[in-house]
Amino acid sequence: MKKKVTPEEVVKYFKDEFKTKIKGAKIVKRKFGSKKKESYYVWMKVDRTVFKDSIEHLIKLQYPHLAVASGNDIGKIIEIIYHFTLNYDQPLEEIILNISVELPKTDPTIDTISDIIPGALITEREKMEMLGITVKGIPDSSRVFLPDDFPEGVYPWRRDKTGPEKYYKNLHEVKK
Amino acid sequence: MSEEAITKTSYHIPVGPIHPALKEPVYFEFELSGEKIIDVNVKLGHVHRGVEWASRKRNPIQVLYLAERICGICSYCHPAAFTLAVENACDIEVPERADYLRVVQAELERICSHILWAGVAAHEIGFDTVLYFTWQIREKALDLTEFLTGNRVTKGIMTIGGIRRDITPDMLPRIKRDMQFFKDNFEKLRHIFLDDKTVKMRSQNAGILTKDDAIKLCAVGPTTRASGVKKDVRTGESYFAYGDLDVKCITPKDLTGTVNGDVYDRIIQRLLEVKQSIELIEQCIDEMPAGDIVSEPKIPKLMNQIKKIEGEGVGRHEAPRGEVIHYVKFDGKSENPYTWKVRAPTYNNILPWIPMLKGEQIADIPIVAASTDPCMSCTNRVAIVKDSKRYELTKEQLHKLSVEKTRRLMK
Amino acid sequence: MRFSMLPSVFVQMFKKPWTNKFPAKYAPSNTTQFLKDVGEGKAEIIPPIPPEKGFRGKIKYDKEKCIGCQLCIKYCPCEAIEFKPKDKKIKIYLSRCCFCSQCNDVCPTNCLTMGEEFLLADADPYSKDLIVE
Repeated sequence: MKKKVTPEEVVKYFKDEFKTKIKGAKIVKRKFGSKKKESYYVWMKVDRTVFKDSIEHLIKLQYPHLAVASGNDIGKIIEIIYHFTLNYDQPLEEIILNISVELPKTDPTIDTISDIIPGALITEREKMEMLGITVKGIPDSSRVFLPDDFPEGVYPWRRDKTGPEKYYKNLHEVKK
Repeated sequence: MSEEAITKTSYHIPVGPIHPALKEPVYFEFELSGEKIIDVNVKLGHVHRGVEWASRKRNPIQVLYLAERICGICSYCHPAAFTLAVENACDIEVPERADYLRVVQAELERICSHILWAGVAAHEIGFDTVLYFTWQIREKALDLTEFLTGNRVTKGIMTIGGIRRDITPDMLPRIKRDMQFFKDNFEKLRHIFLDDKTVKMRSQNAGILTKDDAIKLCAVGPTTRASGVKKDVRTGESYFAYGDLDVKCITPKDLTGTVNGDVYDRIIQRLLEVKQSIELIEQCIDEMPAGDIVSEPKIPKLMNQIKKIEGEGVGRHEAPRGEVIHYVKFDGKSENPYTWKVRAPTYNNILPWIPMLKGEQIADIPIVAASTDPCMSCTNRVAIVKDSKRYELTKEQLHKLSVEKTRRLMK
Repeated sequence: MRFSMLPSVFVQMFKKPWTNKFPAKYAPSNTTQFLKDVGEGKAEIIPPIPPEKGFRGKIKYDKEKCIGCQLCIKYCPCEAIEFKPKDKKIKIYLSRCCFCSQCNDVCPTNCLTMGEEFLLADADPYSKDLIVE
């Protein structure tokens, strides 16, 4: 592990390299316990064209721990958020770095990062089946959680007509 | 096909999806050459219940109880991570006393889980007397849980902005007495696991996960710490009262001086953590400040506050098996979460199985798989073996193989 | 050391078992017959360990105090509570209840409390014992 970084340094490090391709960078600080020690959350939006470069750039700073990638369906856009952890071996200095990428529904493709962080494989496969995005260059694109006979073109986390609405109609009917 | 390819072909053995020597559904496909494992393929999703989707129709108070039912053993961790995420998204301050009380509950759950795991691990290698011994200790831990929370398994103790039950001074003697009981029995358990030849024979140099693999495959919890990676949410981030307490990230190095990353190291790691948890509970009880336990006791008022918020938050908690992370997003129109993402520790500990199991024997599958303490219902949130003609190894057969190996080694 | 568990095993031979033998010392060959006998007073049940103080068991409902505000229905995580619009009271289906006591917390008049009864198994989910009103 390389030397520790501060949240301000992380934001500056990204802004220096990618400039306007980084949007909405903010640092959230929260205090806990009676000694009111701080914990740090960094949020930023990265343009899709430089997403892979930004992860490679991050690895040059420090090899991060990828917790998970989560996804939102917001209207015409699918947002994928990668939750990284930095400084995890430094006592009370851990930074949670949330990098979000916006993908238009007309072309929901993103580059894989599983070649540089092998632990990202399961979470990328999950996003593919749940949100119907395409991950370019993924070594294994089979389903993880959904069964093999689950219909094609239905994505459980979507909120539009490709969502699972027609499959749960009678879920709440209970005899009373 | 050439003649050589026929003589050197390898075998494929499916294990699972129901009970691959574990008590949880997961499907393995092993490629074998004789007794040796060459490649492993893991298939998940057999108990996927769509809880993340179900949360869209529930308000945050209802989601707490939904989160509690993700996993029976981590029935505190998931609500804890969810509340942290909601509190981060809505910027809710928690009273100091509640922070300490939350640590007590978290550590008590860790004792329960690790003791249970120690019993299951002993059972996998055919050492059943230890199984009964550990479950005797766990029974005491569960009784204490019932005393503190009102139920043995589904605790229902967490709430947004605090905790639901206080520890009153008349409860302290009982807690101190039980902590003494855990300490006495912990010494016994440590002696059995660390000095007994049977355990050492089966666990040393089995299922090795190197430090490099642990970092690259993003392993979490005791699995990664046993490989020497100092990743522990409790020490890394200040949340609950962990920032105030004297908590140190421990690795097997503290006891043995070396880190091998094998099954034996993972046993040591969990035992050391039990001791750490007992110490943390005692520390909490001594240092607990007085005050409120909930920031906003009126739930309808709290919901109105959440309804107006448009934002997102991440909550992390160190569960017995590793880091739990929840992501919550509110859209400002309804109090129900817009998105809720659950990441249980086993989700990240699946990929490390592949380097661990490669090169091992079939009889080692139970103990190696059990050594990461997998929890499938946490990870999956449905199973088809296409070719029913294929030979399946049942849990009983695998367990028998494992017991036979122990007997063979003892001769 | 090879037999580290052996002393414990020997000691255990002279100790009482750790568990409570509920409901009978040996599993009866016919459970329904056994329960019938218990009802007629021919056989006896070994009592269960009493629950701790503050245990969340069968819910108790004080009908007089209830003002019909429906807050409990809004916050019940498992939709176990039904509203009776005629007399503005509630009906709780215990077969759906998860015993979280959240309704007790939101109730403005404290008409709901948790009891200590926990032996609630029944073949019919809508039997009289499982509906509180």
